[in-house]
Amino acid sequence: MDEKLKAIYQCIVEGDNNGVQEHVRAALESGMDAGTILNEGLIAGMAEVGRLFEEGEYFVPEMLISARAMKSAMAILKPHLTSEQVGFAGRVAIGTVKGDLHDIGKNLVGLMLEGAGFQVIDLGSDVAPEKFVEAAKNNDVDIVAMSALLTTTMVNMKSTIAALEEAGVREKVKVMIGGAPVTEAYARQIGADGYAPDASRAVALAKSLLS
Amino acid sequence: MSQITVTLQPVGRRIVIERGATLLEAAQRAGVEMVASCGGLGVCSTCKVRVIQGRVTPPVETELEELGEELIRAGYRLACQTEPLEDVRVEIPPESLVAGQSLQVEGREGRVTLDPAVVAIDLQLTPPSLDDLRSDLTRVNAALRAMGLPPLSAGLRLLGALSQQLRQENWQARLAIRPEGGASALVSVLPRGARLAGLAMDLGSTKLALFLVDLESGALLAQAGVMNPQISFGEDVVSRIAYANRGEEQRKQLQTRLVETINQTLAEFCQREGLCADQIVDVVAVGNTAMHHLFAGLPVAPLGHAPYTPVVSEPLTFPAAEIGLRVAPGAQVYLPPNIAGYVGADHVAALIATRSYLAAGRTALLVDIGTNTEISLIHGGRMYACSCASGPAFEGAHIHDGMRAAPGAIERVHLSEGQVRVVTIGGQAPVGICGSGILNAVAELLDAGVIDARGVLRAGHSRVRPANGKAEFVLADSAETAHGREIVVTRKDVNEIQLAKGAIRAGLEILLKEAGIPADRVEDFIVAGAFGTHLDLPSALRVGMFPPLPLERFHQVGNAAGVGARQMLLSRALRREAAEVAREVTYIELTTRPDFTPTFVECMYFT
Repeated sequence: MDEKLKAIYQCIVEGDNNGVQEHVRAALESGMDAGTILNEGLIAGMAEVGRLFEEGEYFVPEMLISARAMKSAMAILKPHLTSEQVGFAGRVAIGTVKGDLHDIGKNLVGLMLEGAGFQVIDLGSDVAPEKFVEAAKNNDVDIVAMSALLTTTMVNMKSTIAALEEAGVREKVKVMIGGAPVTEAYARQIGADGYAPDASRAVALAKSLLS
Repeated sequence: MSQITVTLQPVGRRIVIERGATLLEAAQRAGVEMVASCGGLGVCSTCKVRVIQGRVTPPVETELEELGEELIRAGYRLACQTEPLEDVRVEIPPESLVAGQSLQVEGREGRVTLDPAVVAIDLQLTPPSLDDLRSDLTRVNAALRAMGLPPLSAGLRLLGALSQQLRQENWQARLAIRPEGGASALVSVLPRGARLAGLAMDLGSTKLALFLVDLESGALLAQAGVMNPQISFGEDVVSRIAYANRGEEQRKQLQTRLVETINQTLAEFCQREGLCADQIVDVVAVGNTAMHHLFAGLPVAPLGHAPYTPVVSEPLTFPAAEIGLRVAPGAQVYLPPNIAGYVGADHVAALIATRSYLAAGRTALLVDIGTNTEISLIHGGRMYACSCASGPAFEGAHIHDGMRAAPGAIERVHLSEGQVRVVTIGGQAPVGICGSGILNAVAELLDAGVIDARGVLRAGHSRVRPANGKAEFVLADSAETAHGREIVVTRKDVNEIQLAKGAIRAGLEILLKEAGIPADRVEDFIVAGAFGTHLDLPSALRVGMFPPLPLERFHQVGNAAGVGARQMLLSRALRREAAEVAREVTYIELTTRPDFTPTFVECMYFT
């Protein structure tokens, strides 16, 4: 691998925020293709972060730090990317359901999805079903992703799916859910398309839902 | 000096002993029952005390082994091995006392000025005759008036009971009266000389603590700890709220089961103490906001979703009969105020119980650790509180070999030179590991360099071996355990502890930031609650759950909420103080703070 790309990849894996920005700028200046930097530097780096998490080597703090480095690198890279290169993996509307304020997990999933080439529209937390519907309709999203951390707010995942059906957009999107009290069985029960137990597997799920 | 005075705190006893007697002997002679599991041989650490003032014999080898250097430096000694050389003052921590934690906090408080809500009025009336045709009630009111008391206000049933009692016992009766503005509310009609008792309860999510108290002397008559029956409907309060959300019937079920269990325990108290239910004339109950609402039969749905607001945060008083509590017919239940959706009346009660630490001018922290950890910071005349989702790791949940604190649970771990020694509750063969055990284990693993700052297990250590691609640390070999399987600590277990301690530390740091002070300004760090009593403080400091303050500033006070409930049962003045405290507290909702996530993440690391 090219030295510069290797450096960028390493900075992502190590969560070196300053280093990655420096290296991305240098790579662009040297004439390297932005798409290559994105795929072989940033996205490959985040994939390694995901693998390390699944191995048990990395935990929440490491993921957040790497994701932060990814985000600042993307900010520099974006103006140089074509519209096909940005968010080429798909478009996701993500949010924590109504009545729930927990967002760390949801933020992590959003960052990991971005790190895998998805365009993420973050609706925030305490998101009413109507807001998910609106996002689905107006932004041409491929996936609606929902997070809940309380057994009392999980039910709003069901009402959001019902709202999507009522608005006639359920067939147009894939629905994936996650969060501490959520399970595979619950996803099947409410008619979601998938469930992921952590941010890293959320990326794999999103990819498989759209393939 | 052949005669030495030993002052024992906080129980407040003083005893004179001869040179050569140990601190344990001094305590025993003073009638203070201390735990001494090994019978004074110096091979356990259950008689641990702290020497506050005065010279004592130097530590012997077993003390260094059992307590460790840090605790010894902080003044802790084994009472059975330590002899005073001159007059000394010694602090006995709650876990070293047989009778339990309550003594610790009461001792700090000194006496509560008895001022209960219900008092006994003994009547000796002249019987009716042809010359004196007054009704029973008129007769009673005349007697009350002569005593300077307002007339009786009573329900029908009690009026009838009053009439019968007077005739049964030669125109004598003991009335339990609750002064209420312009009337004397009749709570119970009893025979002359019958004791008046009160019930104080700490309705914990996991365990209910009930205390039967003599209202005239303040003495504790009986106490019991029972499992909260609502657990069958949900491990934690949020799942119980979810259950209650299913319908009115489910919500009522949660209340009914709770009251039934309380009534059952009350019946046992009465039998043991030779009392009847009519003698229990006042009730104080504390619990977190969800328990408070479930007990009182209030709606809990709003507590289950943002912005998590309670139905009632003011002090609440209602007739005990309204919820089916089997106590005196006219008895009322008093619930102190709640602070927020997840900082409840129990925290207010704990603040009342520990108020001497919170004296004017001092900076103090009160931490009650559980699935939710509530924290209050008192500084510069202001109070701040928050609730952290520490999760159930400290109760053994989500831990590979985790279990509740019960016989067979590993609660202490010693690592040295590649060898592991574990101490279990009850001394039996290990079955699993409880909250204090996993906390201690992580601290030991950190000290031994087996875990790094990120919580990763180092593959090189002799007891670290891979399992399904993930590293595990073997705590107890299959030959040593009760069930023949290994007991391990996994990376995931370490992660769970990181999440729990990170949440608590983040809450602490944010409150300190809000008050604008660094951690070392905290003069008293009070740790309350069941887990807080048993946790190993040095371990909590080592893993970074608490800021690095000198050990002497920490006080493990046991069930402070229970003590506070008892104190409010005995003192109306303290109830008023509770209302003031709740009003003064500034509640900080951590989830809306933009600095919460970065602070939480930072606090997850080890140093």
